[in-house]
Amino acid sequence: MSGPVALHTPTTPVAGAALASDPVLRVNDIQAHFRTQHFGVSREVRAVDGVTFDVRRNEIYGLAGESSSGKTTLIKTIAGAIKPPLQVVGGSVQFSFMPGYPGLHAAPAAEVERVRWRHLSYVMQGSMNVLNPMRRVISTFQDFAWRHLGGSRKQFEERVVAHLARVRLDPAVLRAYPHELSGGMRQRVTIALATICKPDFIIADEPTTALDVIVQKDVLGMIRSIQQEMGSSVLFVTHDMGVHAHLTDRLGIMYGGRLVEEAPTPEIFSRPLHPYTVYLIGSLPRIGDDTPRKSLEGSPPNLADPPTGCRFHPRCPLAMEVCARQVPPMVESLPGHRVACHAVNPGAAA
Amino acid sequence: MSGYLAYLAKRLGQFVLVVFIGVNIAYVVTHATPIDPVEQSISAVTSFGNTAPEAIEQMRQSLKELYGVGGSWREQYFTFWSRILRADFGPSMSAFPTPVSALIGRALPWTVGLLVVSTLVTWALGNLLGGLAGYYQRSRSFKLMGVVAMGLHPIPYYIVALMLLIVFGFLWPVLPITGGSAMNLPQGWTLAFIGSVLKHSILPALSLILIGVGSWFLGMRSLVSNIVTEDYVQFAELGGVNRRRILGSYVMRNALGPQVTGLAMSLGGIFNGAIITEKVFGYPGVGTLLVDAVYAGDYGLVLGVTTISILGVSAGVLAIDLLYPLFDPRVQVA
Amino acid sequence: MLAILRDLLKYNLEFRIGIILVGIVVGLAILSGFSPYPPGDVYVVPPDVPPSSAYWFGTTSRGQDVFWQVCVAIRNTLLFGITVAAISRVLSLVIGLLSGYKGGWIDRALMGVNDTFIVIPLFPILVLFYFVMRDSMTWLMLAMIMATLGWAYDARLIRAVAMSLKTREFSQTAVFSGMTTREILTREHLPYVMPIVFSTTMNNMNWSIGLEVTLSVLGFTDINTPTIGGMIYWANQHTAIVAGVWWWIAFPIAVVIMAFVGLFLLAVSMNEYIDPRSRLSRMGGGAR
Repeated sequence: MSGPVALHTPTTPVAGAALASDPVLRVNDIQAHFRTQHFGVSREVRAVDGVTFDVRRNEIYGLAGESSSGKTTLIKTIAGAIKPPLQVVGGSVQFSFMPGYPGLHAAPAAEVERVRWRHLSYVMQGSMNVLNPMRRVISTFQDFAWRHLGGSRKQFEERVVAHLARVRLDPAVLRAYPHELSGGMRQRVTIALATICKPDFIIADEPTTALDVIVQKDVLGMIRSIQQEMGSSVLFVTHDMGVHAHLTDRLGIMYGGRLVEEAPTPEIFSRPLHPYTVYLIGSLPRIGDDTPRKSLEGSPPNLADPPTGCRFHPRCPLAMEVCARQVPPMVESLPGHRVACHAVNPGAAA
Repeated sequence: MSGYLAYLAKRLGQFVLVVFIGVNIAYVVTHATPIDPVEQSISAVTSFGNTAPEAIEQMRQSLKELYGVGGSWREQYFTFWSRILRADFGPSMSAFPTPVSALIGRALPWTVGLLVVSTLVTWALGNLLGGLAGYYQRSRSFKLMGVVAMGLHPIPYYIVALMLLIVFGFLWPVLPITGGSAMNLPQGWTLAFIGSVLKHSILPALSLILIGVGSWFLGMRSLVSNIVTEDYVQFAELGGVNRRRILGSYVMRNALGPQVTGLAMSLGGIFNGAIITEKVFGYPGVGTLLVDAVYAGDYGLVLGVTTISILGVSAGVLAIDLLYPLFDPRVQVA
Repeated sequence: MLAILRDLLKYNLEFRIGIILVGIVVGLAILSGFSPYPPGDVYVVPPDVPPSSAYWFGTTSRGQDVFWQVCVAIRNTLLFGITVAAISRVLSLVIGLLSGYKGGWIDRALMGVNDTFIVIPLFPILVLFYFVMRDSMTWLMLAMIMATLGWAYDARLIRAVAMSLKTREFSQTAVFSGMTTREILTREHLPYVMPIVFSTTMNNMNWSIGLEVTLSVLGFTDINTPTIGGMIYWANQHTAIVAGVWWWIAFPIAVVIMAFVGLFLLAVSMNEYIDPRSRLSRMGGGAR
């Protein structure tokens, strides 16, 4: 079973020019909803409602959006962490290293087990609680990575120690319990954990949010250098536009469970097209600029009862009559720059 | 290490406090009585038959000291404490001239044995099943187990013991329903005697286990259903960590600490249950001793069993507390 | 509070079963007012009659109608539980709220005493009480004693709720607007503490009724006031099981078990309502 599959997935990805445009991840019109029924009231929250994008080999793809934009649900869906009440309603999530299956949620257990951590790893939000408080750090490494790397206990431990040096951690942390480490050290442990198997794809969910600014910068540099060294692809999620500017190659903006704009990161910052992106960029502080920031009117959409048409239209300064009627399609308005907006792409809906 | 010492000091302090308050309650109870307990007890004993006058005098002396008749209240208080610290409750009236401490010493191994074995079995079984039920929440058989646990758990020990007695004593008499071992066997480390002890302990242990398992099951189930939503469990699942490893080392392991604390907290209640169960099955432990002592009007024995119970249970709690750092690495530093 | 009860009744199976069981038991207790015989009298009906249309639950060897005995007994038993619960609620509320809200050394001192009362084995102490008091041990006195010994576990639960309330924003607002501690506790926090008070009341009633039944069965209470434990005591005195008068023991046990399970289910369903996380797992948010 794993024989022919291995052919598709070189164990050491080559960061060559020919391969650079290969998508490692292809997300196609994915829809994931929360369906709940409690005390007789049934609700359907359409947290992710038709998102399409690719992540190429050897790139850091950023996802931005406010807290209810559905970005956390989207990466849960991509990572295959689907538990009731969350359900995948439609669409697919295809990984190059797992051909033939429309996502981890639809793959057999053995396939999921083969892929997890070897090909797909995860850096989670809230480094305080992601390490089991009852286990020494070395045991956590064994739980996650030993079955993929193999070797004797001693060989494995030597490999972990060598890898820890990359994130500038002392081998002594392996004997420690998580509560004995600082927040920054813990986050470095989780980064080392996520990269030790040299995975093809790493999902990073707000990995720096809980850290102070200096540690944050340190951790971001580390993610960048390890990624370049290994040629992995990273899906990096945060609401912090400053972090995106610093780190990501391409950037997707989410609003109300949908992707509204996607472009190379520098272009998003220099030439935002979607009114929501314009607002996001405009709200960033700039040195020497002391004009008051405009805040967006209205509140984020209620995804249990979302606005019709474009979900941004109730708050949009450019809203037209068509916006309330029709969902704007995602159109490549400029080379490599996709936008879903009737004002930017007039007539695209027809 | 100094963190562990602080923890140790705190636990020892709690132990001393429990014993202090417990013995003081016993003191207040025995000294607030409106009737003259000494003469009442003496007359209760002498009415059974002829007792030697010097025996009565010896009893009266120890009763007076324990009840605190005569002298200032301060003298009474200190005499009471010194008697208790020396475990000297005078001679038993119902088994004169055997000292109360000897009677308790004879009964204690039975109670401790029954209690330790059934509590460990109950705790392990209830937590294992409850943990599985919390992890596999959709399993029908675990849901059914939950229903049974909910039906059994709130029933008091006495009622369950009585129902077992009726079932195995009258409806389907296959197990011995009274005593600690067969009457005709000499006590000792013989196979026949040990077998008989085990056989006689089945029903008392079963009634303790039936109720206890339900309570640990329900507690562990709700604990685990909260732990599975913790970040480190979700993270391990995303990491493809072996399911059994997640259940054992991530979920159950983190529930262990609270459940060990829970064991310490409920030891008093479990002891109450054991006492009552012993009486129902005529098991020769301190429970039967206590109840029979009340019927016989043996004051020294009642007070003795009460204070030894307080000491014993709080020592048990202390032992669990001292073992607790083994279950939670955070205590060693915090 | 009423809306909560209505929701629970509509959508929570445990609560519904609990209400039905407790309803039956309370119904029997109310029926006791219509008993044709004074509850204390003996030999008012033919003894040892098995259950029949004339005597639904049969009659005892002491010539009492088991049905009417059970009604009176469960009434007294429930009243006992309610009395203990009511008195101990006052103690556990005051101590729990004070400890959780004040924190610091007050909290440490109160919880030290509190944990002591949790640990101490109460049964031997209650036996000691009875032994010393003998016939002057009345029903009410036993209730008072048990209330003063049985508040500790619930005080700890209430303290936990109070501690979480203290850190919430509205408490801070109340402090800055110059409310006294007493005002904050009664006006702001009591409404949030009520559900847990309700559920601990049910559990406390179970605890006190269980101990009362046990003490009565052994004859360590005022055996002339008919209670469920007292009935079993008299049945044991007449060796009812050996004599084949099983109904003398079976019916009181059945009724008291209904009370225990019913009260427990009410407590459990209320707890589930309090704890949003267990609600989530009911919706299916937990593991598979």
